[in-house]
Amino acid sequence: MTRALYEWLLWLHPPAFRRQFAAEMLWIFDEASESEGVVALLLDGLVSLMRQWLLRSGAWKVAAAVAGGLLQVTAGGLGMLLLGHAQLTAFLAAAQLDGGWTENLRSAAPIAMSTLIRLASGSVIGILLMVIGLALWVKNFTERRIRDLQPRRNRGRRCSNCAV
Amino acid sequence: MIEDLSPFIPLSPAILHILLSLAGSDRHGYGIMQEVARQSEGQYKLGPGTLYDNLQKLMNQRLVDEAPRRSGSEDPRRRYYRLTSFGRRVLSAEVARLEGVVREAKLRLHLPNPRRAT
Repeated sequence: MTRALYEWLLWLHPPAFRRQFAAEMLWIFDEASESEGVVALLLDGLVSLMRQWLLRSGAWKVAAAVAGGLLQVTAGGLGMLLLGHAQLTAFLAAAQLDGGWTENLRSAAPIAMSTLIRLASGSVIGILLMVIGLALWVKNFTERRIRDLQPRRNRGRRCSNCAV
Repeated sequence: MIEDLSPFIPLSPAILHILLSLAGSDRHGYGIMQEVARQSEGQYKLGPGTLYDNLQKLMNQRLVDEAPRRSGSEDPRRRYYRLTSFGRRVLSAEVARLEGVVREAKLRLHLPNPRRAT
């Protein structure tokens, strides 16, 4: 039961880490569960799972970019709606004062349209910001991957005479 | 050409213990865990998650490499790791740094030098 749970925790790790180390970690679980304690190993597996996804895989950056984009779209849309609402309230107040209901209601349609246009433009700006954020992240990610693929002798060794 | 090891130093406690455990001989993951516990007299324990997270980092930095398997009769899941010559230089630089820290601490705290075991 606990072994299956640990196996499942390992299966939830990012694929690259899982392929490289999962079999070995399971072997350690088999060897050390009596001496180290099953609960400690399960907790360690859980912490490892969070660390690999949140800190090592970079998935949190995508999640943050999407959440930021959604927040911007929502905030932009709500802001535009509030602006439109304030304008409509002012219009209704003016209509009540001069009593020309019919004429003023006919001109209410352009106000609703302008609110929609504001909402759409707010959303477009939010999406554009999200796309820019994602593009920057992809650029950073690609550069890091290219650096990782460089030959061994060029990696991890720096010298004082090397050009920066 | 003088090697600049400063980007790797100071080492985290987990990495220092892993490199130290591999300084004597090649070990598999569980062997590293046991050796770290032995070296620290049980005060520092590494779980498999922490161990392999750090091993991955160390292999990417070429401080540690995978060693060939010892015999075919062993569990195929068991893999051995070894310290590279570059890893050994980084570990030596860290030990030298720590010696400086200990020397400074003894001066400031007026601690006597430990007696040599006979």
